[in-house]
Amino acid sequence: MPGFLRRHATLLILSAVALIAAALVWTTQGPAAVNAALGKAWPLLLMVLPAMLAGLLLAGSLKQLIPPGALAQWMGAESGWRGLIVAALAGMATPGGPMATFPIVLVLARAGADRGAVVCYIVSWALNGLQRILVWEVPLLGADFALLRLLCGLPLGVLAGMIARRVPIAWTRPESPLAAPRR
Amino acid sequence: MTGGQVLLGVAALGVFLLAIGRGGVPAGRRALRDTGESIARVLPVMLVAIPMAAFLSQLIPPQLAAAWLGPESGMTGVLVASAVGGFIPGGPFVSFPLVLTFIKAGAGAPQMVALITAWAILGIHRVLTWELPVLGPRFVAIRLISGAALPVLAGAAAQVLLPWFPHALPVVGR
Repeated sequence: MPGFLRRHATLLILSAVALIAAALVWTTQGPAAVNAALGKAWPLLLMVLPAMLAGLLLAGSLKQLIPPGALAQWMGAESGWRGLIVAALAGMATPGGPMATFPIVLVLARAGADRGAVVCYIVSWALNGLQRILVWEVPLLGADFALLRLLCGLPLGVLAGMIARRVPIAWTRPESPLAAPRR
Repeated sequence: MTGGQVLLGVAALGVFLLAIGRGGVPAGRRALRDTGESIARVLPVMLVAIPMAAFLSQLIPPQLAAAWLGPESGMTGVLVASAVGGFIPGGPFVSFPLVLTFIKAGAGAPQMVALITAWAILGIHRVLTWELPVLGPRFVAIRLISGAALPVLAGAAAQVLLPWFPHALPVVGR
């Protein structure tokens, strides 16, 4: 049971929030408002679905082509700027959500990437992931806004990596398969 | 179908064919199995998340967004957005529809840049469900310290760059 809960935590939390929000809309604005909200959700879903399918196929295929461990050799503690830039580019190119990305992060860390590179990779993926920008940001918020946001976000991954290398907290990178997350 | 979606579809097919070319049919089969597993995980979440975002946006009073996060709110608005953004739960399927709601209600572009940046970098939900179990509390501390100031920086940068992006908020009346 705890395993089931943990595996589906996201789904359960989202369902709970959705139900509570729907109940609130119902009580404060009436059933018509609930219908109106659902009416808005449907076209959004239809718009996002094809992009999601394509994005996941991209992620699945990319993984066959580039084993993430191969990149880690350029991301060691001695890698300096260049390692951070490799990490930033790799992060931006990584498609998919956290369930796909954090296993890759673990592979990178075990294969020798230093804390700066790992932080830079995570920030670049979360902030500037190209797949997410194409699938969500451009269709919903427009290309101009997406470009402005990307320009502001581009340097931040490398910046975070540089700061991370100076934060005085000891961290040993994860070794052998410990507490590997269920994919 | 938007241009971005077509582009993504073409890229996905291209990389899929490339994987088959490089690794033969087994690689293609692995890619498809991987994709299928991902769909099984993501699709249910999406089916719940999108109505959830719709309900939430129904609940947010538009005047509130305009007052706290409007173009006039300046760096105060950027700071508020940076703080709020970290608490938006869920993935892009939640945050981007929410940002769209804010923009329609009158929020400003630099404030929304800060909000998205804070959600992406500091999102507490992702930290707790993924980062903490996979990488441990020390790493999480290092990463959050490294990222703490970035949303404000991004918002300030957007404020400076805004004159060059007059169409960054084209959604009024859409």
